[in-house]
Amino acid sequence: MPAFEMRKIVKRFPGVVANRDVDLTIEAGAIHALLGENGAGKSTLMQILYGFHSMDSGSILIDGKPVEIASPKDAIALGIGMVHQEFMLVRRFSVVENTVLGLKGKLDLRQASRRLRALSEQHHLAIDPAALVQHLPIGVQQRVEILKLLYRDARLLILDEPTAVLTTHEKDQLFTVLRGLRDQGRSIVIVTHKLQEILDVADRVTVMRDGKVVGAVSTQQTTEQELARLMVGRDVNLRAVKVPVERGAAVLRIAGLHVRDEAGQEKVRGVTLDVHAGEIVGIAGVDGNGQSQLAEAIMRLRPADKGSIFLRDHEVTRLTVAQHRALGLSYVPADRRHVGAVTEMSIADNAILGSQRKHTKGPFLDTRKIREHAEKLIARFGVRATSIATKAGKLSGGNLQKLILGREILEDAAAMVVEQPTRGLDVGAIESVWAELLGQRERGKAILLISAELEELMNLADRIAVMFEGRIVGILNAANITAEKLGLMISGLSEES
Amino acid sequence: MKLIERRVSPADSPLAITTAMVVAALAAMLITSLLFTLYQANPLQAYFALFHEPFASWRGFGYTLVRTAPLTLIALGTIVSWRSGFGYLGFEGCFVIGAAATSWLALSTTFSFWTFLPLALLLSFAAGAAWAGVVALIRARFGGNEVLISLMMNYVAILIVQYLVSGPMRAPGGVPETALLPRATWLPFILPGTRAHAGILLALCAALLVWVLLRKTRIGYELIVSGLSPLAARFGGINVGAQLVFAAFCAGGLGAWAGTVEVLGEQHRLMDGISGGVGFTGIIVALLARLNPLAVIPAAVLYGGMTVGANAMQRRAGIPSSITFILQSLIVLMVLASDIFRRYRVKLT
Repeated sequence: MPAFEMRKIVKRFPGVVANRDVDLTIEAGAIHALLGENGAGKSTLMQILYGFHSMDSGSILIDGKPVEIASPKDAIALGIGMVHQEFMLVRRFSVVENTVLGLKGKLDLRQASRRLRALSEQHHLAIDPAALVQHLPIGVQQRVEILKLLYRDARLLILDEPTAVLTTHEKDQLFTVLRGLRDQGRSIVIVTHKLQEILDVADRVTVMRDGKVVGAVSTQQTTEQELARLMVGRDVNLRAVKVPVERGAAVLRIAGLHVRDEAGQEKVRGVTLDVHAGEIVGIAGVDGNGQSQLAEAIMRLRPADKGSIFLRDHEVTRLTVAQHRALGLSYVPADRRHVGAVTEMSIADNAILGSQRKHTKGPFLDTRKIREHAEKLIARFGVRATSIATKAGKLSGGNLQKLILGREILEDAAAMVVEQPTRGLDVGAIESVWAELLGQRERGKAILLISAELEELMNLADRIAVMFEGRIVGILNAANITAEKLGLMISGLSEES
Repeated sequence: MKLIERRVSPADSPLAITTAMVVAALAAMLITSLLFTLYQANPLQAYFALFHEPFASWRGFGYTLVRTAPLTLIALGTIVSWRSGFGYLGFEGCFVIGAAATSWLALSTTFSFWTFLPLALLLSFAAGAAWAGVVALIRARFGGNEVLISLMMNYVAILIVQYLVSGPMRAPGGVPETALLPRATWLPFILPGTRAHAGILLALCAALLVWVLLRKTRIGYELIVSGLSPLAARFGGINVGAQLVFAAFCAGGLGAWAGTVEVLGEQHRLMDGISGGVGFTGIIVALLARLNPLAVIPAAVLYGGMTVGANAMQRRAGIPSSITFILQSLIVLMVLASDIFRRYRVKLT
């Protein structure tokens, strides 16, 4: 008898069916992966299980008995716990304070601490219950969330995109913890769209597409290719084909760059790097090691403290953003909805952001030219939208990214800085973003690609610079590099000698 | 099945928006009717009095236009500044500064009307632009809070004018006010038999100009991007600080023109308390028009008319004219709140 079972779940939102007749069976002592593209309905399904949403029809059974889950409180009482993508921790509270938060009964922090310490040892979580959450690295915060669930004695742990923010090393640690929990007979669901991780850690996988279950298989009887095909509904090319391109002259040159963040902390500490025409230089690193500040400083969205930046023959270190753009630099920022686009404006208005000066007749905007530009953009880059008057905020993440990337590509700049171009995108969109970037490389553009996804860097980049704590700790030729070595380097555990 | 269900995205067709606004205005009037009954007045008669005079009598309509002109200009100033993300509230100040600058020019020179008017508009605009520009500079350069600073500067401006009319610019006599401005500086009256003056034409031109600026020009595009998302604006190579200062200049200038129009068209002299709160009512008009420069005109006519009708209502139905202000505020509250209804649909099946 399965420990947890969802039968014929139907959930409609106005205008969409998020789940149609979804069946999900989770065994005790198993890690179950729920795979699907964004919008496939996997989050909705888990939110129904956790009591966030009510279902329109269907039933949930625990140990074969039907149960009612009307709220997260019911779910917790039934032994179901969830770790959200954004952690629900009070940063200024200690681990033990965070754990007892919301629990009823007598408040005895000392006793709670003792229990937490015991649980932490038992599951090899290495957490000090007295530590303040704000001092803990992301990976440890995630383990605190898991510890919270164990304290409540959850039998089923749901983890939503658990590896999105982790280093390779932290990911391995997480998987070890999850395997330990499984061996004790607990059930675990990980919601993800990363195929390799599923094959690494999960026992079974349920694939969803358009609100329906399109496959439920054992991980031992499947491959990455087959999962991708199930998820997207067609064959997907997960390996980018990189044709040899002759490397040209250095287009973007960075020398001894130092940059501070808003808090005045030095985040970039002496970066020197060249990007040549017809080359993609990748910057690998865990988020927060100075990559964002580096990208912003190159575009002059953030002032540099020391050092210089050259674009072809011009020193651009202290020029304005508009001058950077005019000299041939374009930028695809990591934050698509707040920096790369104005979500309240139309696709047409967003299509000229950064090139608004080129779309004018005297002081007036050239409406016809703008319309043609926007229509060309959505046709050429396959942005799925009803019209160019649609607000950009209504686009899905993948379509918005295609709009931004396409806009920056149409600028035809000699150099491009691209930051986390496929974060949160599904496989189909990733495939097309990759193809566009490689196309730009073939056209002789110089591309600086900042990404936390090692697979992306290994597929696209010619050279990979590893950034750790504001420094470049090694520049490797992408042809002879392994994921393991790269993983160690971005965690600061190994340097290229 | 639920009777009312939430829409995925709010209904945003013009019909839905207009319906929601009209229903909201009617709801506000319904609530105000309850206040009327406190005075044993028949709400229908009261509303007749409120709307008959300003919209159905020739003389009253003239007054309506007199009130509409400054309201429109201030609402336009609000739109330019708020659209750029500059939450300026200092229009009372701009109004009196503009009125003072205009009065000074009118009293100290003897130009013919067609020489005087452009000069007065220029001087007044510059004075208002400087007044609001200071706040924008503080915000752009040092990150000061423009809402607080601009509100406080209203009092500074009002006190400066108080000083001027009781000191340097005071005319002989018992009341702190300037002498009557020379007739040659007065704005021409445009409707025979009424006090309606050419200020309304200036307001209409300004509305058209602001509409063109925001909708059709590159500067307007950059200004709106700056307001919606400063980060995206900087990413697009827009100098957000400069946009802010530019918007503040326009806002201050438009606010000062409201003062100019009031002095040259209606009061014909500078006195203490000349603004009568129009610097705030204008902001309300802008909100009612949802920051759309063309929608400002009907909104300002409605509000200007209600101000005129309030006195008639007091005379005829014995209802305190201040209830009109309650009604005006309720309409804005209801219209802003009506957005929530566009997020739901009623299912009758």
